[in-house]
Amino acid sequence: MAAVLVHIDLDANGLHASSLQALNAARAVASSWGATLYAAVIVHDPNKRPDDAPPSRIAPRLPGERKTIEAVRRALVRGGADKIVIALTDAPIVPLWCMLGTAWQGVLDHLRPRLVVFGADAPSAAELGPRTGARIGARLLLRARALGTEEVELRDRDGSYVRMTDSGAAVALIGSALRAAAPAIPVSHGDDDVDVMVLTLPGGIDPRIELAGTAPAELVHTTGTLIAIGDAAASDPDIAQATQRLAKVLGTHVVGSAHAANTGVVGAGAVIERGTPLAPEMCIAIGVPPIDVAGSTSLIRIGSSGGKGVDGALTGSIAQNLGELARILEER
Amino acid sequence: MTAGEPKLVVAVWLGNAPPVRSIRWLDGALKAAAKFAGATAVAAGDPTWLDLAADRATRMGLASLGVPTELSLDYLGWAQVMAAVARQLAATTILVDEASRPERFAEVAALAELIDAAQLTHVVTLAPDAATIHASRATGAMLQTVRIHGPAVIGVRIPGPAIDEYPTPMPSGSMRRLDLAALGLDPAVLGHRALPTHASQPARRSVDRVADHLAVHIVPRKGA
Repeated sequence: MAAVLVHIDLDANGLHASSLQALNAARAVASSWGATLYAAVIVHDPNKRPDDAPPSRIAPRLPGERKTIEAVRRALVRGGADKIVIALTDAPIVPLWCMLGTAWQGVLDHLRPRLVVFGADAPSAAELGPRTGARIGARLLLRARALGTEEVELRDRDGSYVRMTDSGAAVALIGSALRAAAPAIPVSHGDDDVDVMVLTLPGGIDPRIELAGTAPAELVHTTGTLIAIGDAAASDPDIAQATQRLAKVLGTHVVGSAHAANTGVVGAGAVIERGTPLAPEMCIAIGVPPIDVAGSTSLIRIGSSGGKGVDGALTGSIAQNLGELARILEER
Repeated sequence: MTAGEPKLVVAVWLGNAPPVRSIRWLDGALKAAAKFAGATAVAAGDPTWLDLAADRATRMGLASLGVPTELSLDYLGWAQVMAAVARQLAATTILVDEASRPERFAEVAALAELIDAAQLTHVVTLAPDAATIHASRATGAMLQTVRIHGPAVIGVRIPGPAIDEYPTPMPSGSMRRLDLAALGLDPAVLGHRALPTHASQPARRSVDRVADHLAVHIVPRKGA
């Protein structure tokens, strides 16, 4: 039976929300394709593996703090995993290929999946997703979603897709799963008796990359989604209110000039110097922001007719368009 | 750098097509590469793009190498092309301009896989220090400080100066050109990594279509 594998990132609260969404999408695909759904978590094991231990073994219980692990297991079962894989590594769990690559490779070697799925916004996705694709010679879908009811496929915004009838492997980074777009397949099979497989894998931090430290990033370095607002637009209370509403539903920040901050729509920590170049994955430019957003992977303009390489542009009343956008997204 | 330290040989991969909106990030990648003595800018694709790449590289004082081809490849296909160039140049460190085109980001990992190098994506600052490279990497709301030792492929998102207009590049004589055969690549074999043709997406002009586009960017929340 073909294997569909989901990489699960953990955060302070358990499963990362983006990984959960990937699990939901993968559940729909696996059910449609008749595949087994594996959810894999890489866990730090501070105990050094004995030299004579085999490269992998099956253990009946998860290691680590029992309550936490049990909570993770339950969440994965609720998400619909058929089998759970715990990959133990002596490397610290930092979302970098140099730290997690060896352990992840062990999971791939063990399962040889046909489809590997990551949450697009999960911390490890950027480093592990494309490298996984390269390692198994797979097609790569970025910001994909599950579509269909009986024959579920994954499709990204460029029109690339993965279907049951395709040959070859694929890797997909899943964007948000929305009610309107999600397949009508239950996300949980309600079976709590799920196999848990523990792989004790050789360590293997790549010494060529040395993590020296971490610090909070400034918004100018954001690689996710941003809303950039122009000064004139920020001065309009209706636009400001609708912008805040859209930011809330997207879970993102509104950036703008100090002038825009005076109107209250831009927070104190989100003031960007005029002309500063940004390169987020998605930018929604409202009005004419005094910020260079040309480096955005995807750019939507609201209140202007567009320009070179925009993915969308809405002219007409800015406040009305923003309000309608927020309403549609809230309802999904 | 001391006599015993390995020498960094740096190339910067500019990809197979010009930037989508602005050459500012292309210039930034070239400027980052120019911090390394003897770095070479590499591009592949049609002659117009190669001329632009050569022109911008020359302005930064970099040598350039072009691979003329009409192929349209996926991330693994272009990585094979750049990996072959890297072997020709004996490059140890490859910078990749991640920001100018969205498809370039995945080539960082593919290239690292093909040349068995370390990888680092989303790098926003870069500073050479003898055989070590100091880098900052953006990941979500955090900035990681990293030291890179040895062969690596580094995806950079570093802007150059703002440019409103730039002169139309002239056909470049300074760019060294290598065809696929000279790189030991067979176009028929590379064709297995050809991208399926999709109709180009016109800009979305309705609220519904924009909402559909934005939907996959909603930051998921627990319980959502």
